[in-house]
Amino acid sequence: MSGHHAHGGPECVALFAKLSEYLDDELEPGACADVEDHMADCERCREFLESLRRAVAHVAATDAPELPEDLKRDILSAYGRTRESS
Amino acid sequence: MASSFDNVELLSRIRADAPGAFDAFVARFGGRIYAFGLKFCGEREDAKDVLQDTLIQAYKSLRELEHADAMTSWLYRVAANACLMKRRKGKFAPEREISLEELLPGPGKEARVQIPDPAATPHDDAVRAETKARVRKAIGDLPPAYRIVLVMRDMEQLSTQEVAAALGLEISAVKMRLHRARLMVRKTLEASYAAELGAKGRA
Repeated sequence: MSGHHAHGGPECVALFAKLSEYLDDELEPGACADVEDHMADCERCREFLESLRRAVAHVAATDAPELPEDLKRDILSAYGRTRESS
Repeated sequence: MASSFDNVELLSRIRADAPGAFDAFVARFGGRIYAFGLKFCGEREDAKDVLQDTLIQAYKSLRELEHADAMTSWLYRVAANACLMKRRKGKFAPEREISLEELLPGPGKEARVQIPDPAATPHDDAVRAETKARVRKAIGDLPPAYRIVLVMRDMEQLSTQEVAAALGLEISAVKMRLHRARLMVRKTLEASYAAELGAKGRA
């Protein structure tokens, strides 16, 4: 699959701007086909897209702990105090 | 997520300042805002401040909100502002937009994909914790105006339209910042894994 497309040309640069929209399925069908045609031909862009997809998946998998109960209580009592003083 | 009917009812209780309305408001949105603050700020203390500032400020001004449908994006707007103020960057605009050229990979022989596939990450607590720390650092290194968009889109799973409404940005600006934020995270992660591989190679 590699070899007949020199990576780094204007086509790669133009597609580079659209990769997130491609991953998010936000491209028009024509533009989407352009990305896929290019990817079939350019190994380096394919690798790049895969690394971007992985980076996004890592971000999405990074969770946060639940709201601690003591913090919730603190907020409720702080709010109670502001009401009493107003 | 709560249905819009629940939000309609909650909003009418808040408008009437009914007994227990604040508690219900905290129960509904507290966890979500705390998680959002923590993802953006990275520190529990900062996330706690963001949560308190957001809930108390939002509760007071929610009474003015006309449509319950707008409640979530409006809350995110207040929370995003609190996050950015926390970082002493009280604006949604970056100091300068980062150009795509800065993030374009070179034509040279860069290493193959080195970021591990999360779907293939081993069920090893130490590896997972280490990966999370790497990803959190990459997110934390982003300029705030880009980080806020990444957190809302890729971590909170808000739509492009919701982020645009919450941050008062054009759709095109949300897409542009999200793309740059992802490219920056990718670059940082790639460099981090490449450095590790290099260190192992030298050992």
